[in-house]
Amino acid sequence: MSVFDVAFVSAVLTASTPVVLAALGGLLCQAAGVFNMALEGQVLWGAFSGVLFSHLTGNAWLGVAGAVVTTTAYALLLSVPTVAFRADPVVVAVGVNLLALGLTAFLMRGLLGVGGTYTSPELRGLPTFARLGLDVPVLGPQSPLVPLAPLLVAAAAWWLARTRSGLRLRGIGRHPEAALSLGLKVGRYRHGVVLGAGALCGLGGAQLALGNVTLFSEGMSAGRGWVAVVAVMLGGARPWPVLASCLLFGAAEALGFRLQGLGLPQQAADAAPYVITLLALVVAAAARGRRRLLEAS
Amino acid sequence: MPAVELVGITKRFGDVVANDGIDLSVEAGEIHAVVGENGAGKSTLMSVMYGMHQPDAGHVLRDGVRLRMRSPADAIAGGLGMVHQRFRLFPELTVTENVVIGAEPTRRGVLDTVAARREVERLGELYGLRADPVARVGTLPVGVRQRVEILKALYRDARVLILDEPTAVLTPGEAAQLFEVLRTVTGNGASVVLVTHKLGEVLAASDRVTVLRHGRVTGRFTTAETTAEELVVAMIGRSLAPGPRHTPPRGHEARHTSPHDREARHSSPNGPGSPPPHGDGPTAREPDAPGVTREPYLLEVENLRVLGGEGPAPVDGVSFGVRRGEIVGIAGVAGSGQRELLDIVTGLRAPDEGRVLLAGHPVRRGRDPRVAYVPEDRHGRATAPTMSLADNLLMGEQRGSRFSRAAVRERARTLVKRFGIRTASVDEPISGLSGGNAQKAVLARELSRGRPLIVVEEPTQGVDVGAQERIHALLAEARDEGGAVLLQSSELPELRALADRILVMFEGRIVAELPSDEASDARLGAAMTGAAAGDATADTEGNTEGDTG
Amino acid sequence: MTGTPAPPVTTDRSPRSPAPGRTALPRAAAAAPVLALVAALALTTLVMLVTGVDPSLAYPALIRGAVGEGNLEYTIAAYVPTLGMALAFAIPLRTGEFNLGGDGQLALGGVAAAAIALLVPLPPVLAVVLPLVAAALTGGFLAWLAAPLRARLGIPVIVTTLLLSTPGVALASYLARFPLAERGTGVAQTPVLPAVAHLPAIGDSGYLTPALPVVALLAVLWLYVDARTALGYEIRATGANREFARYGGVGIERLGAITLAAGGAFAGLVGGLTVLGPPYRFVDGALTAPGYTFTAIAAVLLATGRPALVPITTALLTVLQVGGQGMEREAGVPSQLTQIVQGLVIVIVAVLALTRRRGTIRRTPKTAAEPANPHEKATP
Repeated sequence: MSVFDVAFVSAVLTASTPVVLAALGGLLCQAAGVFNMALEGQVLWGAFSGVLFSHLTGNAWLGVAGAVVTTTAYALLLSVPTVAFRADPVVVAVGVNLLALGLTAFLMRGLLGVGGTYTSPELRGLPTFARLGLDVPVLGPQSPLVPLAPLLVAAAAWWLARTRSGLRLRGIGRHPEAALSLGLKVGRYRHGVVLGAGALCGLGGAQLALGNVTLFSEGMSAGRGWVAVVAVMLGGARPWPVLASCLLFGAAEALGFRLQGLGLPQQAADAAPYVITLLALVVAAAARGRRRLLEAS
Repeated sequence: MPAVELVGITKRFGDVVANDGIDLSVEAGEIHAVVGENGAGKSTLMSVMYGMHQPDAGHVLRDGVRLRMRSPADAIAGGLGMVHQRFRLFPELTVTENVVIGAEPTRRGVLDTVAARREVERLGELYGLRADPVARVGTLPVGVRQRVEILKALYRDARVLILDEPTAVLTPGEAAQLFEVLRTVTGNGASVVLVTHKLGEVLAASDRVTVLRHGRVTGRFTTAETTAEELVVAMIGRSLAPGPRHTPPRGHEARHTSPHDREARHSSPNGPGSPPPHGDGPTAREPDAPGVTREPYLLEVENLRVLGGEGPAPVDGVSFGVRRGEIVGIAGVAGSGQRELLDIVTGLRAPDEGRVLLAGHPVRRGRDPRVAYVPEDRHGRATAPTMSLADNLLMGEQRGSRFSRAAVRERARTLVKRFGIRTASVDEPISGLSGGNAQKAVLARELSRGRPLIVVEEPTQGVDVGAQERIHALLAEARDEGGAVLLQSSELPELRALADRILVMFEGRIVAELPSDEASDARLGAAMTGAAAGDATADTEGNTEGDTG
Repeated sequence: MTGTPAPPVTTDRSPRSPAPGRTALPRAAAAAPVLALVAALALTTLVMLVTGVDPSLAYPALIRGAVGEGNLEYTIAAYVPTLGMALAFAIPLRTGEFNLGGDGQLALGGVAAAAIALLVPLPPVLAVVLPLVAAALTGGFLAWLAAPLRARLGIPVIVTTLLLSTPGVALASYLARFPLAERGTGVAQTPVLPAVAHLPAIGDSGYLTPALPVVALLAVLWLYVDARTALGYEIRATGANREFARYGGVGIERLGAITLAAGGAFAGLVGGLTVLGPPYRFVDGALTAPGYTFTAIAAVLLATGRPALVPITTALLTVLQVGGQGMEREAGVPSQLTQIVQGLVIVIVAVLALTRRRGTIRRTPKTAAEPANPHEKATP
């Protein structure tokens, strides 16, 4: 029975890690007053570029590096229109998400030579702790990116609360005019966090395609970026509550899988994470009262 | 050598010249007032001095050295500090965080909160600017927030402190305190630039005065050697024609008087204000003889209460009445509950307790069709900036008759003509209109319907002089035609000129009711701070009827 | 600021007052969709060149694929659902709400129509009308759910509709695979609907059904309501400034619910019309696979807030979408290229649309980071 529990915890971690990384990016943007709804497209791009660079170099870590670098670059598509030109962030995000869907599917055919799903025995995935010869409880079957995610959340929490740039970032997010009057470079901070969110989504996408599995398939982000957006709302842009929200989603997905094994139709398992996320949002919003949530969004 | 000197500053916005070759020099240790009417170019000039706008021509000298001004950061580095009219504070952060942000003390990259707090306390002691360093700014009263703004500038070693209309948000008592602080600041050798349109303050607190009009300097004075009359001439370009005036005929842009005329003569900063003479404004009316206005109230507000979560109730048991044919003013420091009260009177918000009756029937929730309402927030509430003028003039009437685009535009054209709104076309987005014209459009929409109750908030805020007079005339006209007008304004001269009696709110209650001709600055000021409430309510009209809030 | 000679320097200009020459802007704004499309095509050409595709082969193939012999009817057939989905997105957008849940509303609408047609024996005409009504009601209900959540709890519509989409698609898929499935085939689809429920074909190809005139008529009706009725005015006012509409006595929450339900109803109706057309059954995934929802969203955003342009931009992007498949067949260029164009179009339009709004946008309450009045926060 204890093995069953460990397996379940492991499944929760697998399911939540990409979401945690993306949500952390969304959280930083939120703290700086940027509404980042383009997490979905960036996670997808991260997954694709991770597989692409792993395929090209034969090294999973170079795949991760490629994902981080190119997804950061991809985030320019969001940061330049919204921060520099003040375009509507929601509209731009819709475009950026759609573009990622088309671009990954298109480039997949051009560069990996297949459509639908790409996988190959030669494609290197991320090593697990077990493969690295490290005997870590629970984390055995997980990649090193899995424990990295909560560490990054902790680092972000400390950074926001205790450092000079963290304080300034919070100030910028809450009252940009005030920050401007102090001579703070509002645009620079905002570009910074949007690109940072890109890097985190790249990391999340790489974990999804090279850690959770070792393949790329069209649209494989499958709404995780949107769940991350909701997690940021649920957690009120505070790091630890956001992490908890992501774990809730991971648990829902893991539970869906588990119940599918017990005869629940696959469609119910597909729907479960979204229904549970939405219910959590409703409960949290009802508890918190309508004002605060609107403020946080 | 002047501490700071502006040389030949010219700043254009499109085809509008806001500053036209302005020279200004401020000596070390002086309080230098910059005065002018709304729109004279004061705010633009200060924005240039503080690096928020780059001038099209001219430059800024600091101790004789030319400053490169690309952003406020350069101004701060040059020893300038600014307290904006709208505070630039972070409500969620503490006083200390607000003071140090942007110039934080750190130890190995980590914020040194102890050192920051100690410095804030030290500066507070030094200048008499007391504020709890760990309190969240959002929870503090306005006067304390302003102290935080000043602390912020002083923490950055500001040697030139610019204050933009600092007393607009203060009670007379708080204002007096502020000027004491400013004296301490200049006593330490720093300079203060005081931007204001209140001449009383200028005469009482400044050392020298520079007057702006239409973007140019029209006068430089040493305060001790000048008079209010002289300043007014420089501000409005003509001398005052004394004596009573009459409501200007409809359709004329009457330019021969302005609210500032009245203000110039009546506002006195600290001293006991002399009661203003009757009938001085274009719209003030001889008070009715006792016994004439005994008709029943059209609007009856009974024991209204809005509960405020954890804090005190924003509206805490308010009762009053307004009759047909009278203007009742509401005064009070911003945030005393006026906004909540008027939201309830107009039906936009439900009270937690009490009720509002209009002609004996409760006010309808959502928006009562018997109420005309001119809100303070012109861009956020009174208009949809991106919609056309015609569409903005329609709101509230769209269900009245069969909807037709031609009729909508025709109606708009009629209103444009009748109310003297200047616009190229009724299809123009309303955001393209000047503040005064947009406000006239709002008034046109609300007043053209002949509704019995008219609720008006800050009718002349951000509006040029010509439009101000027109707006005052329109309100007086609505009153004379039998409308019941409830007027909330932070401009005391405006209230005195228009209202028949003035209710003063403080902490959600009506603490005083004064006939306009008894509403001196001193009495209003005392009531607005909650002091001497009982004294102020004595012998007022409401009281004699036993109907005070 | 306006064309009239404004009185010189009588108002304090805010730092971001709109620039002069406003009268020239409407023309610039009208050019925005064209500019966006041109820029997106230029970037797409760049993508082609980078990936080794010859644009001189790809583009003619694209055009032939959309309007070449025999293909035009197919393009028109694809235009109908895309236009319907465009309305599903555009109607709520007029009040400022994003309905991104089109896929779920579409699929559930389709399966609802199939269920009624299969399970309820009905006389002719009614056998067509009733499933369509059921489809519209189902889609409308799913979208409407977002309205009370927005009004009561402040959960953004964009999030709710999106989160409800996947469960909607999953439910439709479940129904098609199990309770309504065609026995014995193992294919995830319902049986063929009874003949009385079939939409008659127009023309020879069999692609065209009365869905075309139905959707076109409804689109015209929407344009009429939007521009020429009090309801349309109130919807526009709500979208332009919610607080202004509320102040004017408009029931903004009721309008939000109405427009969301109407949008969802269009999506559901598209599902129903498609299912009652060839091949006359609900096939799992067939409704969502062509990507009508997002093509439609791109088209609506391309129209930059002018409803009358929506049918045109939708036609343009449908041509692109259908032509993309021809391009794939003929020139071997992956049809996903058209998604790239759509994504780029949206991003570019978002930037270009600013020329129209700049100067006013910062004043609207939505973007205000702080209440204009510093005292507001003191009184909760």
